[in-house]
Amino acid sequence: MTNALFQLPDELVLTTLAQAFPCRDSQIRALATLLHPSAAPCRNLVLYGTEATGKSAITTALLEKLETDDVDNEGPSLKFAIVSSVECITSRHLFESIVGKAAAALSWDRAPSKCETVSQLAVELSKMLKYTSRSESFRFVLVSDGIDRQREAPPTLLPALARLSEIIPCLTTVFIVTSPPANFLRTSFVPHIHFPNYTKAEFVTILATDPPVALPNTTAQETADLWARFAAAVHDALARAASRTLPSVKHACSALWPRFTAPILAGTHAPREFSKLLVAARVYFHDERLLDPGIVALAVPAPQPTSNGTNPTPAANGTAPLLPTTPTQTLKAAAAPTTDLASLLPTTARLLLLAAYLASHNATRHDLVLFSTHHHGRRRRRGGLSVGVGRGRGRSKHRKIARKLLGAHAFVLERMMAIFAAVRGEWDAKFLESGGGEATDAADVGMAIATLASLRLLVRVGGAQAGGDPMDRGGKWRVNAGWEVVRGLGRSMGVEVEDWLIE
Amino acid sequence: MAEIDDHTFQEDDHRAAYVSNPLSDGTAAVPSAGAAPRPAKRRRVSAKKEVVNGRSEDQTSGPVDVGFLPLFNGQESPGAVKLRGELFETAWPVLEGRIQNVLREANRNTLDEVSTFLRAAEGEKGKIPAGFIITGPNIASQDLLFEQLAETLCKGSQTRFVRLRSAEAPNLKAALKKIIRDATVRVAGDDEEGDDVEVSVGQDGRKYLDYDLEALHVSLKLQQSGRVIVAFQDSEAFDNGLLTDLIALFHSWHDRIQFSLLFGIATSVELFQARLLKSIARHLFGAQFDVVQAGSVLDSVFKSAVAGSHALLRLGPSLLRSLVERQQDQVAGIQVFISSLKYAYMCHLYANPLSVLLADDAHINRELLQPEHIEAVRSLESFKTHVEASVEARQLSHAQSLLDDDDYLAEQILEQNQKRRDYLVQLLRSLHLIAATGLISTPFTDLYVTALSEGIDLTSEKASVLDPLRRLGPNEIVSLIHHLLNAIEIGSPELDLQGWGPDADELVASLAEIRDEVEALVERAKDSRKTLKSKYSAQSRVLRTTVVAQKVQLSRDTATLTDEDREFTEAIDRLADLFSRSVNCEPVTSRFLHEAWVYDSKSPYRDVFVPRPGTTLSRALSRPNDYLGCACCSKANGTVTATMPTTAVLYHLYLEAGALINVADLWSAYYALVSDESDIGMDERTALVHFYRGLGELRAMGFVKQSKKKADHIAKLKWI
Repeated sequence: MTNALFQLPDELVLTTLAQAFPCRDSQIRALATLLHPSAAPCRNLVLYGTEATGKSAITTALLEKLETDDVDNEGPSLKFAIVSSVECITSRHLFESIVGKAAAALSWDRAPSKCETVSQLAVELSKMLKYTSRSESFRFVLVSDGIDRQREAPPTLLPALARLSEIIPCLTTVFIVTSPPANFLRTSFVPHIHFPNYTKAEFVTILATDPPVALPNTTAQETADLWARFAAAVHDALARAASRTLPSVKHACSALWPRFTAPILAGTHAPREFSKLLVAARVYFHDERLLDPGIVALAVPAPQPTSNGTNPTPAANGTAPLLPTTPTQTLKAAAAPTTDLASLLPTTARLLLLAAYLASHNATRHDLVLFSTHHHGRRRRRGGLSVGVGRGRGRSKHRKIARKLLGAHAFVLERMMAIFAAVRGEWDAKFLESGGGEATDAADVGMAIATLASLRLLVRVGGAQAGGDPMDRGGKWRVNAGWEVVRGLGRSMGVEVEDWLIE
Repeated sequence: MAEIDDHTFQEDDHRAAYVSNPLSDGTAAVPSAGAAPRPAKRRRVSAKKEVVNGRSEDQTSGPVDVGFLPLFNGQESPGAVKLRGELFETAWPVLEGRIQNVLREANRNTLDEVSTFLRAAEGEKGKIPAGFIITGPNIASQDLLFEQLAETLCKGSQTRFVRLRSAEAPNLKAALKKIIRDATVRVAGDDEEGDDVEVSVGQDGRKYLDYDLEALHVSLKLQQSGRVIVAFQDSEAFDNGLLTDLIALFHSWHDRIQFSLLFGIATSVELFQARLLKSIARHLFGAQFDVVQAGSVLDSVFKSAVAGSHALLRLGPSLLRSLVERQQDQVAGIQVFISSLKYAYMCHLYANPLSVLLADDAHINRELLQPEHIEAVRSLESFKTHVEASVEARQLSHAQSLLDDDDYLAEQILEQNQKRRDYLVQLLRSLHLIAATGLISTPFTDLYVTALSEGIDLTSEKASVLDPLRRLGPNEIVSLIHHLLNAIEIGSPELDLQGWGPDADELVASLAEIRDEVEALVERAKDSRKTLKSKYSAQSRVLRTTVVAQKVQLSRDTATLTDEDREFTEAIDRLADLFSRSVNCEPVTSRFLHEAWVYDSKSPYRDVFVPRPGTTLSRALSRPNDYLGCACCSKANGTVTATMPTTAVLYHLYLEAGALINVADLWSAYYALVSDESDIGMDERTALVHFYRGLGELRAMGFVKQSKKKADHIAKLKWI
């Protein structure tokens, strides 16, 4: 084997890779050229592109191929280490991972000492790469995956890593980032390879490689054809607006596929009648809620998609082993929504939460109007949003945003307790029956506040630096429950919270 | 021994108010509390040694004599004191064990579901299985559940279980450290808190940072164990960012370490999901699990610990009602209920000398009853009613002997033990029969409390069982009788009620007879192609519409009853009669000597479990003489006088002030009250010292604070 000055890696390697990662041919070739020791190895290399465009997967696969490919010629001439920044908690962690991975890749047997800074990293890497005799064509590739997301990264981290290859000539550093700012490595002439997002045709090609299981009364070929046309339709309907990345398009397809093919299963349409199927399933294509990756995949019955990425028929495969549990869960959910917040919280806690909401969303100056019974037997209340906006559009000079649409304001604990005391008699039927004997400072009320705080429904503003006793009546708090929750909570006690809000 | 001295209580410990008198130069503002020497500081002297020794001592001398003091002003015999102590020591652990059993049993379903889910979710590629366990807002009861989860999930399989609480994991590093330590330490075996070095050094001698999941990976590989389950016990209290980071990290490691997550959720999964980023939520493959709701747990705990025949002491209706209401209205979990129960036992057996009568017949005899016991019984309310009742019933000699003859009374007292047991059995059987009919929807707790306070009398107006019973159709009657017979045969394992078939021959026979009769009637009615009905069923009155000359006429028609129907009606009447005769019970307060075995006092319970510090403070400050009992302030009826303690005077002035109080004004008002011209005539310097001290105390109690709005002003904090 002659040592040619420029030699591309084996074509076989590239074609198998291109088959495994369709529509990424040019990127694979560029990457191979820039990494292969006998081609045009460079010092630093930046791969960038949005998520799920194959950056990490292609790099890993290519490097593995190149490493094993070179074994049969003249000993190993390429080694690599991939460090994922997501897994590194601190920059020290990153450095030690780099050293550890590099030592493992090079079968370096000396136990590495600790490595806290970039300079120590340079020393360690130099020991392994520079001061050990290697063959001339040897290259070491260090891949920093997602380095722009590194936690606790010092500002010099990226430039320093880029400089490592100046110290160690046989090192190639690959940075995988989402979108690099100009000259972020502070060094000149770094080749960049862009991994653009897929186009529609590419999406369809990729999805077509993995067709779902053939539908019962069709052939596999028919199903595959239908799947391809279906994927294109899903892309047109949803991809531009809601799901741009490959996993989310896949997810959308797998979520919609059972609904889309339901008429075929029912026997009303043939798999060839694509437009009829499309019309039948039109509703689902409008509905972006289906794309919401719900965290509960099992307990919810039909409308929620079972979201398990790659598998095209999730409903069949995902839940099959769980059948014994699923029916009971759905039954339970249908029978009584016991997990509702309103039924979980006891009366006092609910009242306190409502009082906190009122304190957060009403201005202090309106308190007298709302809660005082001094002048009138009945309270003078003004309608909330619905009345104010509906009538006042013509009159109001300056438009105001409804207070409840703004965030919650902070209030003093004592004010909430006062509202609680004022409102309790009116809202809690049992309290009136018992003659209102309980004071607002009984331990039970304190316990309810503490519980709400531990559930993060009430949040202390200022936190630790404000200091002091959590039961300090002068402390500032804020409600952390949304309008929908509070309205439901109020209705569970027969209170229309809207009546108690003043814009 | 000096330690024993430490354990006895000082006189001052249990007084209603402790009068501190730091100003010894007697300005008469506070009456002197007597020059008692400062109590010796209680120190735990060699606590460890005591525990080691205490074990063996406890066995011999019994833990009984630790706390139980002789009552009747110390006249109570040691035997009775010991018996009371023993009663508590034997009764409560049994009950507690049963309660724990019930609680564990209640979680069983959830445990099974969770483990099934986790096992099934193993095959899920690229996603982290996540179980969302809706535990309800009561954080105290989550502990048991997660303990059980750890036990169940670790059993047999090579699984590591890590429990995370928000307090233990304030940030990412701390959380990871805890996860790694907990998941690896258990592997290392029993040496607790195994030294970190061993954990963090891999096989090739590489040292890992203590938050590096690589260490966990290596350790798991060495142990060849598969998965790590991380349980977030109070997921609401975790920081959003922390959860996001952790889930992203777990997902990135998922191909090497199999993580499964469990979240204890107090509110709802929707709220939880709203906190997560969508990109993070995509990594989770979740299922939702409900824990048995607090209400039904309360019901079963109530059945086994309060109503069940194993319960030694009966809680009275008013206390029980307030306990149950507190469970519904307040954030008080089942744990609070249990400790309230324990407290009631303690109160009764510790403070009521008559509680010795709870002991079974083997332990209690005539010698144990002192003259004091007899006298105490004679002063009871139920004794009076009993004597009055026997006078009414013309049993004069009985009443006479009760009043005069100690031995006769003692005999009667000893007899009550059996009567109490009979009463309870009757009560429980009646309740069980009522529940077995399935005709009323009242929860068992309410039923029980009502039965205790008002008794069970089905013939009275209020009882709502007989009416629906009469309205039943023939088939339902047959199945009802079947249920009743079943209930009699089997009893109720929840209530520890055994079947009482042999005791109720007559009832069983009559029930079976009625059943046979009704069945025969049904057959006969079927032959004559008519449906069997009684005069109570709704069809007996029919509204008829007739159209005559384009006018609609409504007429009420009493449907005629056939002979079968009449017989059926008769059978129903007999059944109702039988049922109301066999299901009855009188209120517990009407029992002679019920004070000995029913505890129904709310006040110590409320003081201990629902204290009201704010109200207490403000009352003490506004009327200090009620607590101090001094003569000088007695004429101040809620108004302010100079002789009150400074803090109380300032509190009165504080109540009159607005939101911002000028300290100079407060001082001049105070000085005007106590200055030379007043009754106590304080000079300015002393008054100033008092003033500062009083203001400092007000601030410490949280009434005022420094205001930033205005110089030299303090802000009022408490308004209600």
